[in-house]
Amino acid sequence: MRSNYRRHFLYAGILVVVFTLVIQWVLDLSLPLPDIQGSAQSAAIDNLIGQHVWLIAGAGALVLVIMGYSIVAFRARPGDEDEEGDYFHGHSGLEIAWTVIPLIVVTIYGVIGVQVLAQVTAPQDNEMTVEVEGLQWSWRFAYPEHGEFQTVEMVVPVNRPLLLSMSAVDVLHSFWVVEWRVKQDLVPGITTELRVTPTEVGEFQLRCAELCGLRHAYMLADVRVVSQEDFDAWIDEQLE
Amino acid sequence: MLMQLGLTRGLIYQAAGTVLGMVVTMVWRLLAGMPLWDQEVVFVVGGLVGGFAFMWGVGAIDDWLEWCRGKATPLVHGPPRDKPAWTRYFSTDYNHKVIGIQYSVTSLLMLMIGGSFALIFRAELAQADLQFLGMGMYNKLIGLHGWAVIAAILLGVGGMANYLVPLMIGAEDMAFPRLNAFAFWINVPGGLLLLASAFLGGFDAGWTAYPPLSTQGSVGYQFLFLAIYFVGLSSILGSLNLLVTILTMRPKGMDLFRIPIFCWAVLATSLIQLTATQAIGTAFLMGLSERALGMGFFDPEGGGNPILFQHIFWFYSHPAVYVFVLPGLGIISELLPVFSRKPLFGYRWIALSSLAIALVGFLVWGHHMFTSGYSPYLRVPFMVATLLVAVPTGVKFFSWVATMWGGRLRFPTPMLFTLGAISVFLLGGLTGPILATVASDLYLHDTYFVVGHFHATLFGGFVFPFCAAIYFWFPKITGRMYNEALGKLHFYIMTPAFWLMSIGQMTVGTMGMRRRIVDYDPTLGGGLVEARHLETTIAAFLIGLSILIMIYNLVTSAEIGVRAPANPWRSRSPEWQIPSPVPEHSFAAPLQVVGEPYDYGLEEEYVVMDESQAGHAQAH
Ligand SMILES: [Cu+2]
Ligand SMILES: [Cu+2]
Repeated sequence: MRSNYRRHFLYAGILVVVFTLVIQWVLDLSLPLPDIQGSAQSAAIDNLIGQHVWLIAGAGALVLVIMGYSIVAFRARPGDEDEEGDYFHGHSGLEIAWTVIPLIVVTIYGVIGVQVLAQVTAPQDNEMTVEVEGLQWSWRFAYPEHGEFQTVEMVVPVNRPLLLSMSAVDVLHSFWVVEWRVKQDLVPGITTELRVTPTEVGEFQLRCAELCGLRHAYMLADVRVVSQEDFDAWIDEQLE
Repeated sequence: MLMQLGLTRGLIYQAAGTVLGMVVTMVWRLLAGMPLWDQEVVFVVGGLVGGFAFMWGVGAIDDWLEWCRGKATPLVHGPPRDKPAWTRYFSTDYNHKVIGIQYSVTSLLMLMIGGSFALIFRAELAQADLQFLGMGMYNKLIGLHGWAVIAAILLGVGGMANYLVPLMIGAEDMAFPRLNAFAFWINVPGGLLLLASAFLGGFDAGWTAYPPLSTQGSVGYQFLFLAIYFVGLSSILGSLNLLVTILTMRPKGMDLFRIPIFCWAVLATSLIQLTATQAIGTAFLMGLSERALGMGFFDPEGGGNPILFQHIFWFYSHPAVYVFVLPGLGIISELLPVFSRKPLFGYRWIALSSLAIALVGFLVWGHHMFTSGYSPYLRVPFMVATLLVAVPTGVKFFSWVATMWGGRLRFPTPMLFTLGAISVFLLGGLTGPILATVASDLYLHDTYFVVGHFHATLFGGFVFPFCAAIYFWFPKITGRMYNEALGKLHFYIMTPAFWLMSIGQMTVGTMGMRRRIVDYDPTLGGGLVEARHLETTIAAFLIGLSILIMIYNLVTSAEIGVRAPANPWRSRSPEWQIPSPVPEHSFAAPLQVVGEPYDYGLEEEYVVMDESQAGHAQAH
C-alpha cells in the first residue's frame, strides 16, 4: 500500500487545485456583497473579503479533499473486516511544515489586514464633520460647520470625506450604512468617530447594528448622498 | 415515592427558600425604615437563598454538614439499598458514571429547550415583516436561546468529561466525588433561574447582556445574572476536580503523553474554566449590583463606562468558546483512529495544540470589540493574536486527515458524526480569520455572517462530536447497541440541513442583514434574502427533527437494543477492556500500561489489568 502513496498524493493534489477553484466559485455565489460600493472604503473592504474567500477555498479544499479522498480510497472494502490500516503515527517534518506554512500565511493576511485597516481609517484632508446622535429608536444629525440645526435625515455631499462624530443618548447603538460597508458603535458617555467618504449619489438607509431595545430592528434613518451644489442648496434651506 | 427523590426535595426547598429569602428581605427593609418592596433586591436575595436551599434539599451538602459537626461519613458507592436503582439518577450520587449521565441527560434536555426557542423565532424569520412574534418577545427569545444552549453545552462538556476521564485513566472515580456531585447539582437551580427569568420580564439585550440596556431592563436580568453565577460555579469546581483527577490519579506508567487524547482536551478546557469563569462572574456581579445597589460601574453618569463590561465579559466569553469546542475536538481525535484502524497522527502535536489554543485564547477577546469604540490602537494586536489561533487549529485538522490517510476506514454512526464534525468545524474555523481581520469585520460585525460563523463553530465543535460520543459510548453505558439505521438517518438529515442553515445565515449576512432583528428589509440581496431565510428555517426544523430521532433511538435502544459486547469497536482504550455496561467499580484490578494508546496495527495492548492486584483497587 505504501508504495502507492505517490499516486494517491498526485491525484489528491490535482483534486485540491480543482476544488479550490470550485469552492471559490461556490462561495462567490453564496456570499454576495451588495452591488453598490457606495464609499471610498467599500472597494478596499470588498477586495479584502475576496482575498479571504480564496483563503477559505484553498484551506477548505486541502482538508476536505484529503478527507474525502481517504473516505473513498482508504475505506474498508468487503473482506477487509479484520484488516488494520498502515502503521505510521507521525512525521515531524510534516508537522513542522503545517505549523510554519499556516504561520506564514496568517502573517501575510495580517499584513494585508493592517494595510487595509490603515487605508479605510486614514484621516483625510478637507474632512466635513457630521455629528450623529443615536437614541431609542431614532437618529439625529447636526452639521457644526454649517450652522445650528438638527435633522432626522442625513444629507451629505458626494466625494467629500466625512468625519462622523457620534454619541448615544441612552444605550449602545451602531452606525451602519450597508453600501458604505464600515460601521461604528455609539456609546453613552463617550464620543466615537467614524471616517467614510461617500462616492455614490443616491438614497440609502442607515440601520442601527447594535441591539438597543424594543424597536431596534426599525431604528433606521434616510441617508441622501447628493452633489455639492444640491448639498449647498439643502444647507441654505435648513438655515432659513 | 416522589418525595424519596433528591430532586423533588431540592425543588421544594428551592421554592421555599426563594419565598423565605424574599420575605426576610422585605421584613428587614421594613425594620430599617425602607419601603417594603424593591423588586431588584428582593428577587436577588430570594433567588440566591433559593439556589442554595436546593443544594441542601437535594442532599449535595449533607456529608459536608456532617463533617462540620465532626462526624466522618463513608463514601457509599452503589445503588441505594432501600429504593429502586433508577432513583439514584434523580438524587445525589457520588459515582462519576452516574454524574456523567446526569450531566449528559440534563444537557440534552437544555439543548432541546434552547433549540425550541430558536425554532420559534426561526419561524418568525421565514418571512420578512412581523408575523406572530412581537418585537419584545423576539428580543427576549434570542438571549434565552443563547444562554439555554450555552448552559446545555457546558453540561454536555461536563457529562463527557465526568463519564470518560476516570474510565480512560483507569481511576475508580474522580478525585473529589462529593465536589463532583455538588458541581453537577448546582446547575439545576441555575438552569431553573435562567428559565424563570422569562416570567420576570426576561432579558432583552441578547446573551451578551451589554449595559446600559441590561442595567435598564426588567428584573429578569437579575435571575439571568444569578443563574450564570451558579452555572459558572459548577464550571470552576468541576474543572478543578478534573485537573486533579488527570494529574494525580493515573496508573503507573501512564505518563502525560500516554493518556487518551480526550484527557488532554479536558486538561486544556479545565485550565480555561478554572481561570476565566471568574471574569463573567465579575461582569455579571457588577451588572447585578449596579441594578440592585445603584453602583455606577457601567453608567457614565455615575463615573462608569459601558465598554468596561464588554472587556470583562469577553475575557471569559472568548476563551469559553474553546471550553465549548476543545472537548469535542478531543472526541474527534479519539474516534478517528478507532474507525481508521490506524494510529493517531502526531499525538503530541494534537495534545499540545489544545494547550496552545487555550493559552492564545486568553489574548484575543478584543476581536469582539473592533467597533466598540475602544482605543483604535488595540485593534491590530487583537487581530494578530486572533489570526494566530489558526495555527494550532490547523495542526489539528492536518493531523486528523493524516490519521485517515492510509487507514481502513469504516463508517458506523459515530464515525459519520466525527466526519460531519470535521467538515462543519472547518466551515466555522475558516470563517474566523475574515472576522478577525479588522477592516472586513467593520462590515461583517453584528451581521448574520457572525451568526453563521459561530453556529458552525459550535455545531462542529460540540453538537456533532457530542452526538458521535453518545452513539460511540452508548453500548458501554447501557450494555445495548443503538439502532444503526436510525443513527444514520439522524446523520443524513442533520448534516445537509446544518450546511444549508449555516450557509444560509452567512449569505444573508453578506447581503447586509443585521443580527438580532425581528424583521428585515426584503429587498436586500436583490430580493433573495427572504428565500434564503425560508430555507434556513426549514433546515432548522429538520435539525430539530433529527435530534428527536436520536432521542427516540436512545430511549428505545436502551430497552430493546441488541446486547452489546464488551468492545464492539475494537478500541484500545481502557474503558473498552471491561464489561458493558461498566460495573459499579469499573476496573476489577489496577491498570498496567504496556503500550501506546493508539497503536492500531500492532499486536501489543495499551493497558492490561494486573490480576494479581485484583480486589485491592476497591480499598478506598
Ligand atoms: Cu439598535
Ligand atoms: Cu472570540
